[in-house]
Amino acid sequence: MKEPDVKYFEHIPVAPDRNLILTRLGYRKGTTALSEKDNIFIEAAVKRALLLCNAKGAFCRSSINERSAGRVVLENGIELLSEKLSLFLQQSSEAVLMSSTVGREISDKVAEAMKNGDAALGLIFDAVASQSADAALDWMMKFIDKIIKTKGKVLTKRRFSPGYGDLDLFHQKVIYDILDLKRIGISVTEKFMLEPEKSVIAIAGIEVSHE
Amino acid sequence: MNKDTFRQMTQGKIVLLDGATGTELHKRGIPKEACPEQWVLEHPHVLKEIQSEYIEAGSDIVLACTFGGNRIKLKEFGLQDRVLEFNRALAGISKEAAGARCLVAGDLAPTGKFVEPFGDAGFNEIVDVYKEQVQGLLAGGVDLFVIETMIDLQETRAAVLAIKETCDLPVIASMTFDTGAKTLTDSDPVTVLITLQSLGVDAVGANCSTGPKDMLKVVELMAPYAKVPIMVKPNAGLPRLVDGHTVFDMGPEEFGKYAVDFVARGVGVIGGCCGTTPQHIKSVNENIAGLKPAGREPNPYRALTSSRRTVFFGDTYPVTVVGERINPTGKKKLSEELKNGKLTEVRRLAAEQVENGAEILDVNVGMPGIDEKKTMVEVVKLLSNVVECPLCLDSSSPDVLAAALRIYPGRALINSISAEKAKIQRMLPIARKYGAMFILLPLSDEGVPEQARERYEIIENVISEAKKHGFENSDIVVDGLVMSVSSNQSAAEETLKVIRWCAEKVGCATIAGLSNVSFGLPRRDYLNSAFLAMGVGCGLSMAIANPSSEMIMDIKAACDVLTARDKNSLAYIKRYSEENAERPKKVEQDSNLQTVDRIKLSILEGDRENVVGLIEEALAEGVKSGVIIDDYLIPAITRVGHLYEERKYFLPQLIQSAEAMKTAFNYLAPLLAGDRERNGKNSPVVVLATVKGDIHDIGKNIVGLMLRNNGFTVHDLGKNVSAEKIIGESRELQARIIGLSALLTTTMVEMKTVVELGRSEGLDVKYMVGGAVVNESFAREIRADGYAKDAYEAVRLAKRLTGLE
Repeated sequence: MKEPDVKYFEHIPVAPDRNLILTRLGYRKGTTALSEKDNIFIEAAVKRALLLCNAKGAFCRSSINERSAGRVVLENGIELLSEKLSLFLQQSSEAVLMSSTVGREISDKVAEAMKNGDAALGLIFDAVASQSADAALDWMMKFIDKIIKTKGKVLTKRRFSPGYGDLDLFHQKVIYDILDLKRIGISVTEKFMLEPEKSVIAIAGIEVSHE
Repeated sequence: MNKDTFRQMTQGKIVLLDGATGTELHKRGIPKEACPEQWVLEHPHVLKEIQSEYIEAGSDIVLACTFGGNRIKLKEFGLQDRVLEFNRALAGISKEAAGARCLVAGDLAPTGKFVEPFGDAGFNEIVDVYKEQVQGLLAGGVDLFVIETMIDLQETRAAVLAIKETCDLPVIASMTFDTGAKTLTDSDPVTVLITLQSLGVDAVGANCSTGPKDMLKVVELMAPYAKVPIMVKPNAGLPRLVDGHTVFDMGPEEFGKYAVDFVARGVGVIGGCCGTTPQHIKSVNENIAGLKPAGREPNPYRALTSSRRTVFFGDTYPVTVVGERINPTGKKKLSEELKNGKLTEVRRLAAEQVENGAEILDVNVGMPGIDEKKTMVEVVKLLSNVVECPLCLDSSSPDVLAAALRIYPGRALINSISAEKAKIQRMLPIARKYGAMFILLPLSDEGVPEQARERYEIIENVISEAKKHGFENSDIVVDGLVMSVSSNQSAAEETLKVIRWCAEKVGCATIAGLSNVSFGLPRRDYLNSAFLAMGVGCGLSMAIANPSSEMIMDIKAACDVLTARDKNSLAYIKRYSEENAERPKKVEQDSNLQTVDRIKLSILEGDRENVVGLIEEALAEGVKSGVIIDDYLIPAITRVGHLYEERKYFLPQLIQSAEAMKTAFNYLAPLLAGDRERNGKNSPVVVLATVKGDIHDIGKNIVGLMLRNNGFTVHDLGKNVSAEKIIGESRELQARIIGLSALLTTTMVEMKTVVELGRSEGLDVKYMVGGAVVNESFAREIRADGYAKDAYEAVRLAKRLTGLE
């Protein structure tokens, strides 16, 4: 059985979009009014949170050996059971399995802030951490896209995660094992949750470029 | 061939490399899944035929077919134990093909691993991987090395060091740049060039990834600073995937024409990458016929690099501030963290200094009780990732500096090398090996000379010694050696003499640790800033300082204008126009507001710092505590709720107001003796929990905060709580409501277990549920009494379920 060629990033330079952080917190452009004091508080909290996020990641490529209505079979017979995923990957010859985490420190600080009665601060930390984990996946997708472009290929613009649509959460464990995510400090619970909390797993497809 | 003969060769002619080997092998039948190195060993005549065609087309150098000949790549085919054998034999095949007609280069390429500090592969581990390959290639008789198609500067450094530590043959290093002229790991062409030529590479360039047109941009960026020949090996245009095969469309004629443009821009070594053929190389050869390499007269520069940025300094550049804060001396928090192996404070100090204008960060981790070498390496790895600016590695230990320089993925500044015999003998070769610049500290084994003229002699001696190792004046930054004026009032003047002498007579950049001058005196910032201005007047290039000091940074900005280093005063104007725009406007307090109205405002604005003071003021004015609550606090928080519903407030504002409310209540509660309801004795009890198997609890915590502020007594059982515990505690606490939270589909089902258990035991309680994947219909399905989509709705639901609304 061919060993998956997993690449690991010890540090991903993430710069999460400030607007997306605010949107996560319920901000609505044109409706929500922020005072100068609010802005200063938010900016400082975002800055502090970013210092506490250490984004790491892992990915591997796997050829798609079989695809049917509700099933995608990757190398080594790995099955992903989902109609929506199968549809999502219908133009793809390969799948990219990937994961990112921003580490434990930020989650600990969220808990500490909540415990100390700094709930607003904790909320912003939490939003920055979530957005940073997503931004790390964005960064990895751009990175992979650059690599495959030299071969006339392109990565799907979107990605798919276990828990979305009909792709059951147990696939987190399947991908966790393939990527050997303990190497970047992630563990998975028996209910398929990732720890540290701000860790994500996703799937994208590699297609022929028509540019 | 040695480095000198390679240099002579590139000075005399445009050196022609070969074209693609991979695509030529495919044309001749190599199976798609085969290991190219193994297949060529089994079919040597095929490679000989290809290389003969390249030689006939005019190639001066052909590359051995060892692109994937490292241990990591060969492992993909189970051939990792045949590295020496393969590389020796493959070099031998090319040598046979070349004969006396051309040179053979050992070809090194990416291992496929990402190297620390960026990736997880150990730097020394990768150096060793390349060394093994280099040894095989040397045994096969290669004349030089080409490191090509590199995507990461750090891995390229590993390959260069592997060669340097094994032999003295010439090295060409080439990276791939995308159409935006960046490598995959975000290095720009100037940074790549300066880092690699400082490291002793004999030609630097670009290959693969783009066609010749985009590669011209990379060459244009490198050329002004290139002390070594620039190499290019473009693809034959951009790739297309046709029937599962990558094809390149640019024909030999079009490809060859670009050679003239390349040579005109300073390229001295040229070949072809993916999709190019012997015909492409022939066409290049025809186009360069009669062309001579452009004489290289690079801009004299002083530059440091990280893997992602180059910082030029000295001469006409603005004064460069080297941030001094990453140094445990006098910093308790940083010291404690370093002792415990934590680096959060290092990150904070780095980010803060960069934000305040430091262009280089000094890194000193020397303190008792830690392993300085290990800590320095960890800090360098961290900072190489989290900041883009270059580092100044500061230690008195050569071992520490050597370890830090080895791992640092750019061109660092060493702080420092003095004339102390043991140090200079050890440090100059290390600095040279890693291509670093160094700060020359004018002290010797005899100590620190007080007089400038004594320092001149030491400076001249160290420069003379450094030149024996290949350093130029532009590689050296002289420290004026700043001593405190509190113990010797002429100390500053002596330092300024050294700075002026270096600027006018020696041609070295200079640096000064500003804060030393004011040691032992009050208002040190005045002295430091004045000293900076005087230093700049004498030609100072760099200042080691705390960039958080506004006075220092203001004076620096002004000095840059007055010495014409800030062209057209642009940076100065930007700095102060931005400052004016961003200066917080003073919030005018409405003096007509009553104290109680200001209490209301403090809740609306989430001002928990001032709410208690205002309540005290109101109480002193005779306002009853009950009135404060009923007429001001509760209407204020209700208004906040409405603003949230209208989305005029978002979650952090809602929560800040809730926190201010909580602070106000906590203060007022003891004053409401006898008022049982407000003391919480009659308030409804809510038990909150994140269900078993689930570890996410921020939403539940926010619900708890909001419920408390609305008069509920909340018992939060935490996360991952079993149904038995939730029901048992609820019974004991006589809860009116159980609030359950879950984030995922796999854990939300546990909510049903809790509800069923409670109902089967006849517990008289209402169940409310919430969480990312929970919805109204799920709540109904598990027979919960209600669902709330957020904390605000949870409060309303709880009030409804308990009859409070």
